[in-house]
Amino acid sequence: MGLISPPPHHDIYSIEDLAQLIHDLKNVNSQARISVKLVAEVGVGTVAAGVAKAHADVVLISGHDGGTGASPVSSIKHAGIPWEIGLAEAQQVLVKNDLRGRIVVETDGQLKTGRDVAIACLLGAEEFGFSSAPLVSMGCIMMRKCHLNTCPVGVATQDPALRAKFTGQPEHVINFFFFIAEELREIMAKLGFRTLNEMVGRSDLLDVNQAIHHWKARGLDFSEIFHRPEVPERVARYHCQSQDHGLGGALDWTLIQQSEAALERRERVDINLPIRNVNRTVGAMLSGQVARRYGSAGLSQDTIYCRFNGSAGQSFGAFLAKGITFELEGDTCDYMGKGLSGGKLIIYPPHSATFVPEENIIVGNVCLYGATGGEVYLHGMAGERFAVRNSGAYAVVEGVGDHGCEYMTKGVVVVLGRTGRNFAAGMSSGVAFVLDEQGDFGTKRCNLDMVGLEPVQTDADLKLLRTLVENHHQYTNSPRAEWVLEHWDTLLPKFVKVMPKEYREVLEKSDKSGLFLPAPPPPVAAHHLGSGDAGVHAIHG
Amino acid sequence: MGKVTGFMEYTRETPARRPVEARVHDWFEVYQPFPEEKLKTQAARCMDCGIPFCHTGCPLNNIIPDWNDLVYRGRWQDALQMLHATNNFPDFTGRICPAPCEAACVLGINDDPVTIKNIEKTIAERGFEAGLIRPEPPQVRTGKKVAVIGSGPAGLAAAQQLNRAGHTVTVFEKSDRPGGLLMYGIPDFKLEKWVVQRRLDQMTAEGVEFRCGVVAGVDVPADKLRAEFDAICICTGSTRPRDLPVPGRELRGIEFAMDFLPQQNRRVSNLPVDTAAEIKATGKRVVIIGGGDTGADCLGTSHRQEARSIHQFELLPQPPPTRSSTTPWPLWPMQLRTESSHEEGGIREWSVNTRRFIGDERGNLKALEGVRLEWTGGKFKEIPGSEFVLETELVLLAMGFLGPVQEGLVKDLGLALDERQNIKADQKTYMSSVPGVFAAGDARRGQSLVVWALAEGRKAARAVDQYLMGSSKLPG
Repeated sequence: MGLISPPPHHDIYSIEDLAQLIHDLKNVNSQARISVKLVAEVGVGTVAAGVAKAHADVVLISGHDGGTGASPVSSIKHAGIPWEIGLAEAQQVLVKNDLRGRIVVETDGQLKTGRDVAIACLLGAEEFGFSSAPLVSMGCIMMRKCHLNTCPVGVATQDPALRAKFTGQPEHVINFFFFIAEELREIMAKLGFRTLNEMVGRSDLLDVNQAIHHWKARGLDFSEIFHRPEVPERVARYHCQSQDHGLGGALDWTLIQQSEAALERRERVDINLPIRNVNRTVGAMLSGQVARRYGSAGLSQDTIYCRFNGSAGQSFGAFLAKGITFELEGDTCDYMGKGLSGGKLIIYPPHSATFVPEENIIVGNVCLYGATGGEVYLHGMAGERFAVRNSGAYAVVEGVGDHGCEYMTKGVVVVLGRTGRNFAAGMSSGVAFVLDEQGDFGTKRCNLDMVGLEPVQTDADLKLLRTLVENHHQYTNSPRAEWVLEHWDTLLPKFVKVMPKEYREVLEKSDKSGLFLPAPPPPVAAHHLGSGDAGVHAIHG
Repeated sequence: MGKVTGFMEYTRETPARRPVEARVHDWFEVYQPFPEEKLKTQAARCMDCGIPFCHTGCPLNNIIPDWNDLVYRGRWQDALQMLHATNNFPDFTGRICPAPCEAACVLGINDDPVTIKNIEKTIAERGFEAGLIRPEPPQVRTGKKVAVIGSGPAGLAAAQQLNRAGHTVTVFEKSDRPGGLLMYGIPDFKLEKWVVQRRLDQMTAEGVEFRCGVVAGVDVPADKLRAEFDAICICTGSTRPRDLPVPGRELRGIEFAMDFLPQQNRRVSNLPVDTAAEIKATGKRVVIIGGGDTGADCLGTSHRQEARSIHQFELLPQPPPTRSSTTPWPLWPMQLRTESSHEEGGIREWSVNTRRFIGDERGNLKALEGVRLEWTGGKFKEIPGSEFVLETELVLLAMGFLGPVQEGLVKDLGLALDERQNIKADQKTYMSSVPGVFAAGDARRGQSLVVWALAEGRKAARAVDQYLMGSSKLPG
């Protein structure tokens, strides 16, 4: 199945969005260093300063020369500028704003020699990325077929027959890096440096090669690149302190504490907590603990069952692991279910609410961004870009804003109400079922570039849709779901199945049943409710 | 480029040679036809490399992946156009080129390379069949006159390019027919002469004038050439054979390969051969000295003339059967090559030096005395006691060539020579030490391949055009 490349980051439209993502990632794995890769271009220094303020641990200034063999030609040829220019700018801005000390600066983009490393270091980098050159040392011949599974030297392929042709050895790479290190050592010795840190940002030691007489080199002024900002001695010029990620006040510490029985012994725990919008990224740290112990297999369904009440903050249920269920009476900000990893999210408006749920937004924008699995039941409307880049989660929602299911690659989305414009743009796989009461979905609201619209007919589809709506009804007690179930036969013809053309082709060519999306399991029969009555009432009660 | 997974699905297949017992009794080409469907799957093996090394393996920089793709898609006419964009005579190279492109093919790293040469030949032949290869006379004449000296591959390529650029081109050829080694030298079983004639006809129709039987510099003096033409391009080849000055060299029956091979071309074309100078292997015990392509041509020709026995000697040791580690991909591999002529018989011996020739009382060759060699570190030593005497009536010397003939044109024009006694001219301007006089092909670079001659001819044509007009639209 094709993916849109380069990937659009619809979860990052501002530096605040980026800060939120960094916070989310740090929550799910506090031991990981979070690196933000920036394309070297004019103004990259400002962005790098923002990245430092957004608490990234590393900022990577990536030059225009590199790129994988799968990159589109347009990106290879036309994106970015040399890393030297971007790096110089980033270093200068970070030093001037006294941000350099709290962030590591890395550079990459066709670094090949110890000399490249030395220059990068003098311009301000302390970490250096290599990939093309060591790949070549292992036998890569730059076929630019990394995305086609046909790499003839077995470097970038999953095909066993082709992988057998791989002749690279670890020693080839070791050799390569020994040479890099040796050359760097020689240059450092000549310059009189003992450590790389002493060298970082010493652009005063660089000069222009006067021997280059090409006409294009005439009139070039390197003074801006070699400029060293004048700052007091106390201002750091290389990385020497760590970022404060502000994880101390997270609600997850309470969750982890209360989940001890589940985390240590897989025992079921029930948690009831109020929630406020200052509680960001709730569930990520807990999921990190589950993943650390049980891997992606997680825990069995509903092992950790949390009920919240109130208005949740951003990234509610981000990366929620398998075996964790979050039930929220209230609403959430943006990024609900970001990177959902097998967990379950059930959200419905407060009982005291007087509004019509399917006409009012109860979860913010960009929900389920990059989700890989799990279930979501939303009794109410979602904001824009719902399920953007969803890669496996199942979701039922009663209405969505614009750009729903954008760039979706897997999973199922059921919309029991109106959608905004541009539904399914760039959607390459997975399916969506939309209840199109007005009959204008195909003509006005759906982007038909990559998808086709079909009636819901096959037994598998009927079962899938019916199960999801039934689950939704049971979990949320949604009157809308109830109404749909009651009028199932009359409403069924109004359901539209959004089917990506590429997915359809693959299904037709292949008989692999694994490609079909199975119906999710029904709710565990009320055992968590403490009442023998199977019951949606009890959930709310 | 072809099919993305083609190289994983299909294996290399080349046209079969005709059975030895059948082909040694005639002078027709040794290869059998190749079905079109098979050819398409062969083209499908091309991998659309990120960096196609075949481009640079080929001296002509043929745009190989692109026309492979066009062949795979059945777009023969486009393929022909793309092929002709870099190669004037793919019908020649498709037959006789040793295909350095295939040695550089990326697939060759760990698999059998794409059959580029066969695809090239088929594109050209289909072009002729479909009547797509027609004379392309220039729309406008520049009024400039260019003399091309020599009509081998370099001369023909230069002449065709210059003529298409609008110059009035006269080709001087010392033999009675144009074509140089293509016509007189390369045996008919490798390149049938109608193939060459077809191109000569095309060029004549385009307006190129061939003056045959004229030795430039002798029949037409150098100063007259200078006066008559705005530019001269010397493509006379590297024709002085390396000799073997050992005792007995003067005996009758010791001949140069290039005196032997053209005679057979004439016989096949039903042209008269000077009976006094006739050299024939029929019924003789033949020894070919030299293990290269010319030696192989002498071998195949001797087979067909029904020699009693044939030995082929090579001074150097036997190369490895596969690519030597000293010439890794994408270099031209040092390895044992078994041409069609070797397949047909004869005894190949390596590390052999010829010490002297032994004659009878009438001055005819009777035998030769050789000795076996031991090679260490690029130097050889005779192995004591390994001397042998081999009875022979005909020795053919095929030991390479030393450069262009200097008497006449080269001397009279006062051209500087390089240290290898070739005409001195750089690979950018192709201009000799005398302004307006250019050199290309073996005369400039020393003995080499037809494909190099074509490449040089094309590039020299561009240089000449630039010299005459100040700029050039010719590729090169």
